Amino acid sequence: MRISRSLYLLFLTVILIIYYLVAAVYLNNLGYYNHESLFYIEKTRIVFDGVGQRLKVMGLTSPMIPFMATFFFTSISYTLAPALASAIGTGMLFYVIAGTLIKRRDDDFFMYLLLAIFLFHPGILYTAASGKSTYLVLIFFFLFFLNLLKFYRSNTTFHVSIASICLVTLIFCDYKFVWLTLFFLPLVLTITIHSLNLGEQESIFRLFLSFNSPSLRRKLVNKTFALYIILFALPLVAVLCYKLLNLTHASDLNYFSESPYATWNVLIDKLSFDQQTTNSNYQIPEISLLLSARVLMFCPMILIAIYLFRESTYQILTLLTPFAFIEFLHLKYDKVYLAYQYYMIFIVLAFLCVMFKSQTVKNQKSFRVLLALSVVAQLYSGWYFLKTSPIAEDRNFLSVLTKRTEDHTQADNADVAEYLNSLPDDAHILMDDATAYGVVAFVESEKIKSLTMPYQDNFLSGVESPDKAADYIVIATAKNLVTGYTQLNNRYLTSIKRTLPQLIFKKVYETENWIVYRVVK
Amino acid sequence: MSIPELLVKDGFITATDRKKIDTYSSESGLSFIKIALSFGYISRKNYERSLNQAGIDFAEIREMEYDQAVLDKTDLAFANEHLALPLRIENGKVVTVMANPDDELFKDFIRFTYDLEPHVIVASDLDIIWLSNKLIGDKYLKSSVFELLKRDPDSSAVVTFSSAQLVFIFVLIGLVAVGLVLSFKNTSIILNVIISSFFLVAIIFKLFLALVGSRFELHQAVTKEELKLVFDEELPIYTILLPVYKEDKLIKKLIWNLQAIDYPRHKLDVKLLIEEDDDKTLNAVRNLDFPAIFEVIVVPFHMPKTKPKACNYGLHFARGKYLTIYDAEDIPDTDQLKKVVSLFGKLPSEYICVQSALNYFNRNENFLTRMFTLEYSYWFDYMLPGLDTLDIPIPLGGTSNHFKLQELVDLGAWDPFNVTEDADLGVRAYAKGHKIAIINSTTYEEANNEPFNWIRQRSRWIKGYMQTYLVHMRDPAKLIKKIGWKGFLGFNFFIGATPVIFLVYPLLLTFFICYIVFDLSSIRTLFPDWVLFMSIFNLMVGNILMIYVNMMAVFKRRYYELILFAIANPIYWLMHSISAYKGLYQLITNPFYWEKTNHGLSKVNNPTNVVK
Repeated sequence: MRISRSLYLLFLTVILIIYYLVAAVYLNNLGYYNHESLFYIEKTRIVFDGVGQRLKVMGLTSPMIPFMATFFFTSISYTLAPALASAIGTGMLFYVIAGTLIKRRDDDFFMYLLLAIFLFHPGILYTAASGKSTYLVLIFFFLFFLNLLKFYRSNTTFHVSIASICLVTLIFCDYKFVWLTLFFLPLVLTITIHSLNLGEQESIFRLFLSFNSPSLRRKLVNKTFALYIILFALPLVAVLCYKLLNLTHASDLNYFSESPYATWNVLIDKLSFDQQTTNSNYQIPEISLLLSARVLMFCPMILIAIYLFRESTYQILTLLTPFAFIEFLHLKYDKVYLAYQYYMIFIVLAFLCVMFKSQTVKNQKSFRVLLALSVVAQLYSGWYFLKTSPIAEDRNFLSVLTKRTEDHTQADNADVAEYLNSLPDDAHILMDDATAYGVVAFVESEKIKSLTMPYQDNFLSGVESPDKAADYIVIATAKNLVTGYTQLNNRYLTSIKRTLPQLIFKKVYETENWIVYRVVK
Repeated sequence: MSIPELLVKDGFITATDRKKIDTYSSESGLSFIKIALSFGYISRKNYERSLNQAGIDFAEIREMEYDQAVLDKTDLAFANEHLALPLRIENGKVVTVMANPDDELFKDFIRFTYDLEPHVIVASDLDIIWLSNKLIGDKYLKSSVFELLKRDPDSSAVVTFSSAQLVFIFVLIGLVAVGLVLSFKNTSIILNVIISSFFLVAIIFKLFLALVGSRFELHQAVTKEELKLVFDEELPIYTILLPVYKEDKLIKKLIWNLQAIDYPRHKLDVKLLIEEDDDKTLNAVRNLDFPAIFEVIVVPFHMPKTKPKACNYGLHFARGKYLTIYDAEDIPDTDQLKKVVSLFGKLPSEYICVQSALNYFNRNENFLTRMFTLEYSYWFDYMLPGLDTLDIPIPLGGTSNHFKLQELVDLGAWDPFNVTEDADLGVRAYAKGHKIAIINSTTYEEANNEPFNWIRQRSRWIKGYMQTYLVHMRDPAKLIKKIGWKGFLGFNFFIGATPVIFLVYPLLLTFFICYIVFDLSSIRTLFPDWVLFMSIFNLMVGNILMIYVNMMAVFKRRYYELILFAIANPIYWLMHSISAYKGLYQLITNPFYWEKTNHGLSKVNNPTNVVK
């Protein structure tokens, strides 16, 4: 029976993967891209076809795991690789969740619910077809909490160690999850108190008892500390090592998270900040506490999950940790809208909790109706949240998906890239991929060698004396939103003309955001 | 007055005891005095005192003349059972040394065999045992040394390197040398990448094993309920071998520990194996103030002077259905033997051995004992169950491995030429189609608390792992056929990789220090950045993961206070490396040499609470 269910599950997964692949390729053909996928495409092109310190680009590009996951698909197509990775990855997410489900419930109802989510939830489609790293975040977030919940039941080192390893991977899929550890500090204490062999059941009295007995206190302290270490040692040491790697190779501990050359969201966050602070049409931003309310609207199933875990304080606290986490993100990264993936984590968490505790509900019929209603509500809210997302590329995804018309968001970048592709092979083109990664992403593989970019040693000398190192320069126009974040903009031209007055820059190609100049020597 | 009557009269044994001894004697075939002295009824001192009061003195017999022709007619097992030995014929009588002068059965044996009357000389039973094993133990001794070699030469470590292995090693060295001459830089790069990658892969395998093992950390192979179903009357005879060498300080402790074992006294067949030249231990036994609960067997001198040889020798006299080995300082869980009997009853017949977990009672004594405890905890609590789950050959621990005696004999018993005979036996058992199980019972040992002693012990273990690896890799194709690919890879990464990791560790560390700390420019010219990055990554991640494995180790036994000591694992591994190089040197120069570990150095008293 188990084998046939497993095969059935495999079959479903393959069907889902095909469904996602079709969606991803279709959207890709319509010209849909986003900043993250473009960034991965550009860096992958450098790693495989570039000239210069490619190892450094490979090691310091962040988030590391989603970036490297695209490598498996570059042989098919550079531009499709992130979308293929996310499509297959989302299929794997389904397999992981459904695999857990069939081990726990011999009941097709929950499989139908899961299938409904994975087939129709816009957030899942976004995860699968966008080429973003959300699929990996969801997989490891799910595994992390799955192993925590298993640890609560089994109390074996295995599950807490696996949870720790999942946390490491999660952090390397999205560095912001490092802050999740912060909210586990009090939680671990409650877990330890719960695990002490005491007659008292109420957590607060258990704490009181543990603190007032010297031997219990010592045991509590030792065990809490040991749990902290086993859970957080690996993530913290991994982050420390990664930071040291950044320090030794980029002279900056936080290069991977603060440099636009290492990660895509530095620039996007700055743009978001600029838009929020300068926008005259003032939008109501996400407000603390209301954010949690938004999550409840986005994923009402989490309320059912919390209800199911109501009898155990520390397990409730575990479920509340992601709420605290997103509230914290909102405070720490203010003026940056909370990305869609941080809402999506609640979808998988809620389903996990329901899987874990569903058999404890007496009135299964009402429970199932409630679950079905919550899934329907989630499907709607998933769509609504994408439609009204303050992040433009989220809205753009839904727009392309629903209208199925060509997406021209990246047309400008593609046009410049096409022009660069048409230049002679021996022409040296100076450009700054901190902002122009969208252009580089569309440049042909053979042309990557002609580009002079900041990862190469000769970039700086090229900037200082373009007459010696460059035949063409790609400059961001004043209209370009990111013009302030690159050296190669209008101001550069003015300053270089001041330094090298004999140099002539001839405009050879122009779009709204970019101008290509030929350097006349 | 007979000796039993004398002992009762002197109050050294009760009439009930006498009855018990007589009953057991008729059941087992052992003589009255053998049972009285070996099953905790009377101390040797009291026995001598009783005879002295009756006007019988013990004679010094060790230097007595003997006639080989007379000796040849007596079997050692019979002489041991009766604590008597005919030495020579003098004045028409057979001069016979006896511990019990009125053992009529033995006297009848003398009359029947030699057709002469015995001339009895009363002597200490220990001297008689010493003398009889020395004079007529040759057959057993030869068998204990050469039996495996004769029966299954391919499994014996008497040859350290086979010709094919030597050819392989020298060809490899030759290729590396040629490579270095032709292209020093590229060969160095290849070597560096291979070594550092191997280091990381081997450690990841250890982490994997530990994780697999940790999944079942709460699994009870034998539950309390199952243990309640074990009835004393149905228990088989259980042999315990106690190989000792110069462990005079531990004899008293040993008796306390043995007495704590929950197993019917008459169904225990405890054999203390003392080397012929070890008068210290023999005298310690002689001078005990209380009754001993073991039988002494003296192992005659023969090279190699190793523990497996002593165990093989003791095996000839074992009477049990099951057999286990403990070290002198071991404190097994009191219900261990019963648990094993219960587990063997549940397991399929291919399971011939059950390994108990080992841990330390003196863990908080110093840094070394703490690290050792961490190591043993992850080894026995996580890795061995991991191997067990994955059906990969389990290298048995030094003690507390419980065998089905007949199957052990059929397997060829321990290899006396292998200095980690236990690990070798585990792999050999798998190679012959048998299985080993892990049980939820612990034996507490004394952790080595002295660095040089530790290095001696560890160098022997690592040398033994090298021996075991070489023995079983003489024909890799055959090994794969026997234990499958999974077992083969597991064997290579667990047994083979262990010494290699320790050998390469200081090399990687040196690179790391030269590169990071001293910023040595010549290293940068030799190795490109990606190679240095890779080797440092492998070294760092390898160490971090190993620290993590050590940290995991504290959970099962709730040794939470040790968790921070796991960070010192890289330093602890340097000691392993020193031992590994010492072991490698000895493997080449003196492969069968047994580096003796001194026990009894701990100042920590055995905690009584560990015996549940």
